[in-house]
Amino acid sequence: MRLPYHWLCELVKVPGDPESIAAALAQRGFEVASVQHGYQPVIDFEITANRPDCLSVVGLAREASAAYGLPLQLPERGMPPAGQPQPIDVTIEDAELCPRYCAQVFEVSSTGRTPEWMRDRLEACGVRSISPIVDVTNYVMLETGQPTHAFDYEKLGGRALHIRRARPGETIRTLDGVDRALEPDMLAIADGERPQAIGGVMGGASSEIGGGTTLMVLESAYFKPASVRRTSKRLGLKTEASTRFERGADIDAAPAAIARAAVLLQQIGAAQPIGPMVDRYPSPRHPRSLTLRASRIERVLGMRVADAEISRRLEPLGFVVTSNPEPQVSWHVTVPTFRVDVLREIDLIEEVARHDGYVGLPATFPALTAPQPPPDARTVRDRHLRQVLTACGMSEAMTFAFIEASAAAPFAANDAHALVSVANPLSEKFAVLRPSLLPGLLDAAAHNRRREHHDVRLFEVGTRFAADGEVRAVAGVWTGAGSPAHWSGAARPADFFDVKGVVEAIATAFGVEAEFEPASVPYLVPGRSAEIVHLKAAAGSVAESAGSARVASAFRRTIGLVGQIAAAVADARGFPAGEPLYAFELSVDALAALQRGDDLRAAPLPRFPSIVRDLSVLVDDTLPAASVRGTIRSAAPETLTQAIEFDRYRGKGVPEGRVSLSLRLTFRSPERTLTDAEVDAAMDQIVAALADRHGAVRR
Amino acid sequence: MDIAELQRTIEQDIASIKSEADFRAVRDRYLARKGGVISNLLKDLASAPLEERRTRGPALNSLKLHAESRLEAALRTLARRPPGDALDVTLPGRPPLLGHRHPLTLLRERIEAIFLRMGFLIVEGPELEDDYHNFEALNMPPEHPARDMQDTLYLASPIPAGERPATLLRTHTSGMQIRYMETHRPPIRLIAPGRVYRRDGLDLTHSPMFTQVEGLVVGEDVTLADLKGTLVSFARELFGADRGTRFRPSFFPYTEPSGELDISCVACNGTGLVPPKAGTTGTGEGACAMCKGTGWIEVLGSGMVHPAVFEAVGYDAERYTGFAFGVGIERLALLKWGVEDIRLFYENDLRFLEQFPL
Repeated sequence: MRLPYHWLCELVKVPGDPESIAAALAQRGFEVASVQHGYQPVIDFEITANRPDCLSVVGLAREASAAYGLPLQLPERGMPPAGQPQPIDVTIEDAELCPRYCAQVFEVSSTGRTPEWMRDRLEACGVRSISPIVDVTNYVMLETGQPTHAFDYEKLGGRALHIRRARPGETIRTLDGVDRALEPDMLAIADGERPQAIGGVMGGASSEIGGGTTLMVLESAYFKPASVRRTSKRLGLKTEASTRFERGADIDAAPAAIARAAVLLQQIGAAQPIGPMVDRYPSPRHPRSLTLRASRIERVLGMRVADAEISRRLEPLGFVVTSNPEPQVSWHVTVPTFRVDVLREIDLIEEVARHDGYVGLPATFPALTAPQPPPDARTVRDRHLRQVLTACGMSEAMTFAFIEASAAAPFAANDAHALVSVANPLSEKFAVLRPSLLPGLLDAAAHNRRREHHDVRLFEVGTRFAADGEVRAVAGVWTGAGSPAHWSGAARPADFFDVKGVVEAIATAFGVEAEFEPASVPYLVPGRSAEIVHLKAAAGSVAESAGSARVASAFRRTIGLVGQIAAAVADARGFPAGEPLYAFELSVDALAALQRGDDLRAAPLPRFPSIVRDLSVLVDDTLPAASVRGTIRSAAPETLTQAIEFDRYRGKGVPEGRVSLSLRLTFRSPERTLTDAEVDAAMDQIVAALADRHGAVRR
Repeated sequence: MDIAELQRTIEQDIASIKSEADFRAVRDRYLARKGGVISNLLKDLASAPLEERRTRGPALNSLKLHAESRLEAALRTLARRPPGDALDVTLPGRPPLLGHRHPLTLLRERIEAIFLRMGFLIVEGPELEDDYHNFEALNMPPEHPARDMQDTLYLASPIPAGERPATLLRTHTSGMQIRYMETHRPPIRLIAPGRVYRRDGLDLTHSPMFTQVEGLVVGEDVTLADLKGTLVSFARELFGADRGTRFRPSFFPYTEPSGELDISCVACNGTGLVPPKAGTTGTGEGACAMCKGTGWIEVLGSGMVHPAVFEAVGYDAERYTGFAFGVGIERLALLKWGVEDIRLFYENDLRFLEQFPL
């Protein structure tokens, strides 16, 4: 709301310059967008949705008068004498949508002109001067906050105004020249035949006043806020009038605005009222009255306000205050009709508090009365994940939760139906909710690669979405060096096992045993991707030999995927061709469900030495290392504490289709020192089992 | 022998010392008790005439001292010479791979730490919400004009979630006030951080997705003064103890009375004038662009929980009072670090991310 400084000064003799007025009102809750200086200084306020009364010069002047303790001089609005009456038949047919409707017929004079002072003020408020009558309606709206509308009397069929819901199929051409279809829950201001205005939103073109108008009807009404808002939204038509009506107009301003307009129209020689004003108000409303308790003020604010202050703060704002000292100090407060936001005691407490802009409010701290439970497990988990991943050398990214449909499609589970779409996206770039964190990370990796950042390691912890809800996930991408270039040696390019190592670190951090099985998903390269699964042990028994593909699916839980991003997917997002990009994504919710409980018991350190044996075997090159490891574990005695691959060799000395796999086996007993003989026996069993199950040959 | 001549010879010999062996040879040549050049000259002097002793004696003695100190220096230099297998310790170390947390995470964790110390609980909630929790229970019934303050993104089709299917992306974290109060009794003292979504275009200062931290304190004696005290300590801790703060009235449908917290402008330090350019004196010309000349910058919205909100969750609004606040982390980050474009937070350019501490 643009408030011309001189207009304000006419109503309240404010003592300061525009800057100080702006600051004083800002302190009372009216945020200042800007202060303009010059010939016509203007203060532009951002009026919050609860204060439609301050979408007017009078409203803001009332606040200024309260702020400075100065009287408010309201504009003159005595109804001028009426001329020879002309009949107008006004009927409210829907009092729910329109509780009050006033109308006044005017005789229009062709000689009137909008005086310069009025044009200046309209312009200062950002309103273009159009014609004396339209200018006066705009002026009255800016001054009082009450929108009015002028109909050409001669163009109203039947000289009647029916305030009713639109009928099925009714249309209207509004003042902006657009033909609009009305719906039965919209309020029409109709003549004897058809709608001539959309109540509270915009007038119709067919009864628009113009150069030839000799008689006009000025409407000033109160429309139900929710209905105006719904209509305005449905029609996509937001006007100065609808903005005010949907927030709540002053029901008593309906006749007052006509009186004010009559004064101005007569003053500028534009029109003369004829006949009495029509005021249809089937069920008059009484002003709201509330009780305000001194004890409650103190309880909410945390400070005492002197009893004498209450009326001093409320009355300049239009409240009528009478005090009741018994049984407890309280006040009976009558709320002015323009204060549609003051509905209950708490609203009055705010009125009392904001008078000094909370400056006098002490700064205290709420007492703690009970200990707190621990933070949300998700917060703790996310923080833990970030620690692990930054320690793995990955930097944290944050990407948008909504993405392009084309970017999301390859990552959608099963088919595109699993994607969640936004009904009203601002652009196609934000059309669907991400089914995975990877599309965003892929874009982030491409962004960095295009800016000469060769080594990119990024992760994100966030929400992904599917038709059955949201899932907390963690994902990462890795491209460029696995270990960076250094003067001591060249860089090693990143590969699958770098990202797999990160996944293993996450699993370790959560105390979850993760297994890796070859995966087949559209966005990862086949043969270079794995499904990350947890194989749950049946109650009481030891897990099936890990890696054996025939574990009952009931014991198998998928946690995520790891692998190399398919070239077509990377290409589509502008990632440089020919450069491998490795990625992983895990469901944090799934990890959390498997997470080891807070039941750690520290194991004693081993008291006896271990015996280490290396084992090299020739096996088929398609045989997963996990199978070899599994066979070793199942064949070995309990004293085998570790079996880990340290070499995998193909080439000279190894037949085609075979591979030499070397493992280091560690044996240890917690009770005694093992003998070479027992370890030799264990090795023989292992080799026999490997030969038996996999046709392995010891090298 | 001319002493000056001798000194020059000694200097040359010392300068040519390359090893400890060289050092010993030079030392012995001049200073060995038996056969050292200077030692011999001093010995000869003992039998010289008195006049010669008087003139050459001090000069020879000072030459001896000089030679000794120069030799000592030469030995120190030798000791500093690295051995053959020495490392060049000035070469760069092998960097461990270490990643950076996102700046929004850094700030969020800092905010969480401040409130944890003040005894707040951290809770999280769903990003997909229903109209009831996002609006209606927060005193914003359908067609409430304040709904315009937050342009909402809706889901094309509802998603099953508990009692009410989710129909929208939450526009603020305030829905967590309702969700928590529905299942807990006072006293309550919590923060709820998380992502929120609005139907806003992406530009320098707006993003359709951003991060909020909601706060809620409910008890039998929680006051507006408590809110002011809590917010002021928070702002001072985040922006420094000498940062000016201002708590002033505002409006939110779910709080009454409502207030916003301003801090003195970080660009002009509250003067409202264009900050002087580096290297010049005096103040600049015109109004500060960051605070539009007001000297203040809004950092968060807050207020006393509206009785209608308590009624929606079945609390006795006469017995309990409470306050709530919501703060945008991106906005704080822009102010705190002087970031000029909010998009940098979502572009994930490593040149940006790596500016923030590990």
